[in-house]
Amino acid sequence: MSDESKKAPYTMNIGPIHPALKEPVMFTFVMEGEMVRDVDFAPGQAHRGIEWMGMRRNPVQIVHLTDRICGICGVSHTLAFSRAVEQIAGIEVPERADYIRSIIAEFERIQSHLLWAGVAAHELGFDSLLHLTWRVREQSMDVIENLTGNRVNYGIVQVGGVRRDIVPEQHRVIEDCISTYGGLLGKLLNLFLDDRTVSMRCRDSGVLSRQEALELCTVGPTARASGVNVDLRQDYPYAAYGDLDVKAVLPDQHLGETHGDVYDRIVVRLLEVGQSCQIIQQCLSEMPAGPVTAEEKVAKLLAICKKATGEAIGRVEAPRGECFHYVRMEGQEAPHTWKVKASTYSNLMSWIPMLKGEQIADIPIIVASIDPCLSCTDRVAVVRDRSRSILTKEDLHRLSVEKTRRLQR
Amino acid sequence: MKLNASFNHSLWVYHFNSGSCNGCEIEIVATLTPRYDPERFGIKLVGSPRHADVMLVTGPVVHKMKDRLLRVYAQIPDPKVVMCIGSCGISGGVFYDSYNLEGPVDEVIPVDVFVPGCPPRPEAIIHGVVKALQKLERIQGGES
Amino acid sequence: MNEEILTPEQVVERFAGKFGAGIHGTRIGERREGKKKNPNFDIWIDLERDLLKPAIRALIELHYPHLSVISGSDMGDSIRLLYHFTIYYGRVKGEYTVTFAVLLPKSDLSIPTISDLIPGAVFSEREKQEFLGVKVIGIPDSRRLFLPEDFPEGIYPWRKDDTGVPEGMVNNLWASKRPVDRPAPPLVEAPACEPDAGDKQAVQSGKEPGKEGGRS
Repeated sequence: MSDESKKAPYTMNIGPIHPALKEPVMFTFVMEGEMVRDVDFAPGQAHRGIEWMGMRRNPVQIVHLTDRICGICGVSHTLAFSRAVEQIAGIEVPERADYIRSIIAEFERIQSHLLWAGVAAHELGFDSLLHLTWRVREQSMDVIENLTGNRVNYGIVQVGGVRRDIVPEQHRVIEDCISTYGGLLGKLLNLFLDDRTVSMRCRDSGVLSRQEALELCTVGPTARASGVNVDLRQDYPYAAYGDLDVKAVLPDQHLGETHGDVYDRIVVRLLEVGQSCQIIQQCLSEMPAGPVTAEEKVAKLLAICKKATGEAIGRVEAPRGECFHYVRMEGQEAPHTWKVKASTYSNLMSWIPMLKGEQIADIPIIVASIDPCLSCTDRVAVVRDRSRSILTKEDLHRLSVEKTRRLQR
Repeated sequence: MKLNASFNHSLWVYHFNSGSCNGCEIEIVATLTPRYDPERFGIKLVGSPRHADVMLVTGPVVHKMKDRLLRVYAQIPDPKVVMCIGSCGISGGVFYDSYNLEGPVDEVIPVDVFVPGCPPRPEAIIHGVVKALQKLERIQGGES
Repeated sequence: MNEEILTPEQVVERFAGKFGAGIHGTRIGERREGKKKNPNFDIWIDLERDLLKPAIRALIELHYPHLSVISGSDMGDSIRLLYHFTIYYGRVKGEYTVTFAVLLPKSDLSIPTISDLIPGAVFSEREKQEFLGVKVIGIPDSRRLFLPEDFPEGIYPWRKDDTGVPEGMVNNLWASKRPVDRPAPPLVEAPACEPDAGDKQAVQSGKEPGKEGGRS
């Protein structure tokens, strides 16, 4: 091969099956040697037409559809949608339901962050840490199953309240889990943050500055790790958070300074697990008595929703950021307009400044660091100049692991 | 359960996501964690279809992924077993009418084992893989 | 940037004062939850299309807004685009959502892009282009976002008129391979819990005890 073709930039397509995500996104990287010069990506591989389907069903049915928009943050979508519909129809949610909703949302946050910690460890090459974290996560899944009946896709939130109550016998199960996690948190922080290889790989890689985070409208831990002080539970509290005084977790509280890189995102997410445990503890002790739903008979609920007119917004802090639903109803059974904005929608554009100038072996961990939730795993297609070769998930992952081993020596 | 010697006591599994909500993915990866530990059966998740014996398909097939699903199916060497995990792939699940979905998985490729659930529990997935093993045995036994 | 924090009424007054006739209507929504019942405020402002960018500039003077998303409804002979912003985030219990509603007649569905003021809006504008048929002028990247490339041109899924998704394109997954010789549920009143040993009629889904689901 002549020298020109070695130095010329070549394009690399990373096709829908992707190593870091469980979802298909088609990436195209323009590479120069080992460095990324430019990034382009095309989502849309998992477009199922949910908003269009929702505009043909009534709100009680849509609640079950929203649970399955995303398997990891399903309750957030359902909560946001129900809040919007309740505001239009003028349904007053009882206080006990607000507290139960908060508890379920916080458990979802804990299991989502632990899941992500395992995935990040896997991308760095620490497979044993993946198994450890997911083993720890199993306890929270047990609690969730005890409370709602299913490990994923809990159908517990309905328009007007929740469908099941938390009885005192379940309090002990919840408290066991929280105290275990409280004790484990120190160990987890130690394993992730004090490890030299992790800090060498993650410090100053995938940097997103505060100005870029603001301009690209990022949300959630991705924005907080760059120093933007935004957390819906603090600024626009919903359900029981107004009573609880939640503060946004920013990396300079723990480390003293903010770099906006992958390391900071790990810090923010792990600290939020601890914060969630405290919130659940508070909710459990302050939960008021009362009914758990405003309207028990589903037929009457449907009748109320049918007569509702107006438009409203429901916003919820999902584990990945702000989850936004806009609903407009005009007195029909199905909503006139329904717009869903998942949190990763806002965070996707931040991949572009993060990936420019990085090495190919860092791609998996940077892509995974915003905790994307697009839905689908893909493969990687690499195009070098004129010849085309397919890099599988294993190859890209192997490059990342090899870099870790080199650093460890 | 007797396996044909050509399998050398291990079964390699390839997972393909055709547009699902991710819930089944989480349960599949949770199946590989120490609590359920299928590696004691020799079951391992691989990243390339050319190494796999069993293919797990999740999700209702989104239009863009249909072509890729067909190609991946062609790349898996025989004898193979296709498993469809989750209700989306069996009959659409909650996404029962849409303009962008290509129908349940068995409209696109032939499926051998269906594991219903939304999402199915890890125990159910392991049970499904064991059934797939028995089916493979029968296929092998019929030929040899 | 932020001199003093305004109350929702003051925000509305400031916009009304600046743009006067261009504003068709304003509304302040309030929601209280939990035991302490802290209010959350939503501000809705209806604007003329040409006032959109000046209004966003006025909003940036207050506090650099966070754009949640742009949504759109088909109102029959016009399309209503809603720009959802939030300001005063970072202030405990003090964030307001501000929504600008712009009506576009279907004869002239174009609107200037706001991505020079807020770069993160490009995604949302691309999505509106493909789902509603709105033309965004000056957008840096106008490719399709979510719909596949071979989706037919001229069909906009969220429209309710004849450019919406036609019935022929809808794929009913539940009807695939469904047997046509059986009665559709719900069946005629069958007894709920009486184990009739000899009587096995009218159980249409083949739930035979002792077999486990699939037939192998």
